[in-house]
This record gives sequence, C-alpha cells and structure tokens, in this order.
Amino acid sequence: MTITKVLKKNKLMAIVALIYLAIFVFMPDKAAEAMGNSVYYLIEMVQVLPIIFLLTVVIEALVPKEMITRRLGAKSGFLGNILSLILGSISAGPIYAAFPISKMLLTKGASVSNVVIILSSWAVIKLPMLANEAKFLGVSFMGVRWVLTVIAILIMAWITEKLVSKKDMLITSTVVTDKQIVINHDYCIGCGICVKMLPEVYEMIDQKAHVKAGGIKSGDDAMILKTADKCPVNAIVAKEKGGAVA
Amino acid sequence: MDVFTLSFWGISLALTGVSLAKSKKKTFEAMKKSRGMMGNMLGEIIAIIFMIGLVLTFIPPESIKSVLGSENTFISSIIAAIAGSITLIPAFVAFPLVGSFVNVGASIIPAVAFLTTLTMVGIVTFPLEKKEFGFKFALVRNLLSFVAALVIAMAMGVIL
Repeated sequence: MTITKVLKKNKLMAIVALIYLAIFVFMPDKAAEAMGNSVYYLIEMVQVLPIIFLLTVVIEALVPKEMITRRLGAKSGFLGNILSLILGSISAGPIYAAFPISKMLLTKGASVSNVVIILSSWAVIKLPMLANEAKFLGVSFMGVRWVLTVIAILIMAWITEKLVSKKDMLITSTVVTDKQIVINHDYCIGCGICVKMLPEVYEMIDQKAHVKAGGIKSGDDAMILKTADKCPVNAIVAKEKGGAVA
Repeated sequence: MDVFTLSFWGISLALTGVSLAKSKKKTFEAMKKSRGMMGNMLGEIIAIIFMIGLVLTFIPPESIKSVLGSENTFISSIIAAIAGSITLIPAFVAFPLVGSFVNVGASIIPAVAFLTTLTMVGIVTFPLEKKEFGFKFALVRNLLSFVAALVIAMAMGVIL
C-alpha cells in the first residue's frame, strides 16, 4: 500500500494526529493532559474489545442465520424488540463496542429497528451504571429515567425502521484487501449466481445480494472479478480501493 | 477490571470454547471474518479515544456545572444536551458530578438532558457509526436520540 492509501484508510487517525501535533507545538502541557485523559479509555478498550471479538466469532460460528432472522428479523415483532433490549442491556463496554456486534447481527438478518434498540440500550442501560445512578441521584430518579428511556428507545426504533431501509445500511461494502465490492441494489435481481459462485463473500438478504461482513480475503480477488463478470445485470462492481473500476 | 467485565470475559471465553468443540473449522473461519471486520474499525476506535482525551482536556467535566446552573431552564437544557453529545465523560464521573448539583437544588431537566445525550448521542463516534451503518442511519439515530433526551428530560421535570 502506498502512503496516500494508508492515509485514506485512516483519515480520522491522521486528522487526530495532526491536531495533537499542533497542540504539542503550541500548548505542550495541554497535549500531555489530553494524552493522559485518553489512557483510561485505552485501558477500557483493551479490556473490552477482545470480548467483543470473541462474541462476534461466537455469533457467526454458533448461531444459525435463520435463528437470528426469526428472533431479531423484520417479522420478530414485539418479542424481538424485547430480546434486543435485553441483549443491549446485559452488554459490556462503550457504544463503539456495540458496532461490531450490531453489524454482525444486521448481516445475519436482524431488522433495522432491533439494531437501533441494541445500540441505544447498549449505550444507556447497564446494570453497574444504573446502580451508580441510584446511588448519586436516588432510586426514583433512576427508575423514572429508565422507564422513560426504554419507551423512547422503542419509539426511536419504530421511527428509524420507517425512515431507513436495510439497503441504506448494507450498501457500504466491507474492505479487507485492496479490492472493494459495490453492489448496486437498484439493479440486483436476486438471481443468486454470485452467492453460488462465492458463498464466502456474498449472501442474500431480502432478495438482494450483499457482501458479507469481513468477507473479502486477498485470495478471492480473481473469483470476485469473475462474479462481477457473470452478474447478469452488472450490479456487481469490483474496484481497486479508492481507485478506478477494475 | 470490574466484576461485570470480568464475568463477560468468562462467558465469552466459555462460548468460544463451545464453538471450538463444535467445529474448529467454522470457528477459525469466523475468527478470520471478525478479524477483518474489527481490524477495519480498530484504527478509528483508537482515533476516537484520543479525540475523547482532547475533548476532556478542553471541555473539562466541571465546566458542565456552569451550564446546569443557568437561570433559564429551557436554554440550559438545550446547551446541556449539546454538551452531552460532544463529551464522553465516564458514567462514574458524570453521576456524582450531576448528583452533587441536583442535590443542592438545581433543576433536574438540564441534568437529565445531559446524562441522556452523554451516552446515547455520540458526535465523536459519528464517523465510525456512519462508516459501519451508513450516513442516513447514523444521522437519524443520533438526531432522534437528541430529541428523545430533551423529551425525557421534560417528562422527568413534570413527573418528579
């Protein structure tokens, strides 16, 4: 990878590094303080991310897709919402830790509304946090805020489901190698040829082909180009990352 | 590490053991996949963490007191909600801080608005959320959470 490619992939990191550099030059004490403040969160990350990694592995390896679709999918109804609420509430770690798990569940069939519920309850409802809140602000304060928050999360989930389709969420493809696959869902007719050719990379969700989360490996490159070629409506476009169509 | 996180280590390690016992091949494949997915996020997460450090330095947690204490509840609620969206103060710092303030008689409406956006709305984590779930989803979820925080705060002002 060239330097520009590395920078493009880590845009946020580059921006943050630049800010730190500027502060180090002009306000060295502030920069040191900011570094120090970050340490607590770095430790938290090191403690939590391995768990998240193992959990995504377990979900992928042990839980069949049909089960997730049935329990958390579009037809799972109110029970699915409650299950999502429980899943989010018994979680550990900050909200960014919820992203990999939610993404994995989404690609395995969970509905948009249930992803909203998992993310939100993951952020707000946590047992140690509730105990802390009750201690400093009183039990009734904590209780009322909890009830109102649960109601708000359910309403938010319902509204988001109406406004955002699963298509909007899965169109961003996963990039693992230098190749990037973009599937144009306006063209995709759901014929399933790509899934048959390369089941490790493609899957069908709501009758449209999707790239599986983390599905592209370097060895797949040649086969991906073949699937792009075989797609009857040319909905699959394989690109060099950030570059021209291959 | 607190008991809660520790028990999660136990649970996830046990489940991984079950998965390995069931099918080694499937588990290793899943690991490869997760590694790809999380490897993509790792750089952004580290960037986010250093952003949090910056925000905490230039907007220290104590500065929220001046927001919560202002005379006009409506305006201070909105400012508190915005402050909560930007900062990411750890909960065990935020609760005593807000508690000490509410206990001496400050209005709870801005306090609730702040506590709720603090965890539900994330401006700092927005780039990552956008990348993983699309711009529209991230925008809708964060905006709805912001509004919800204000509504929850007002409802609590009425109830308590």
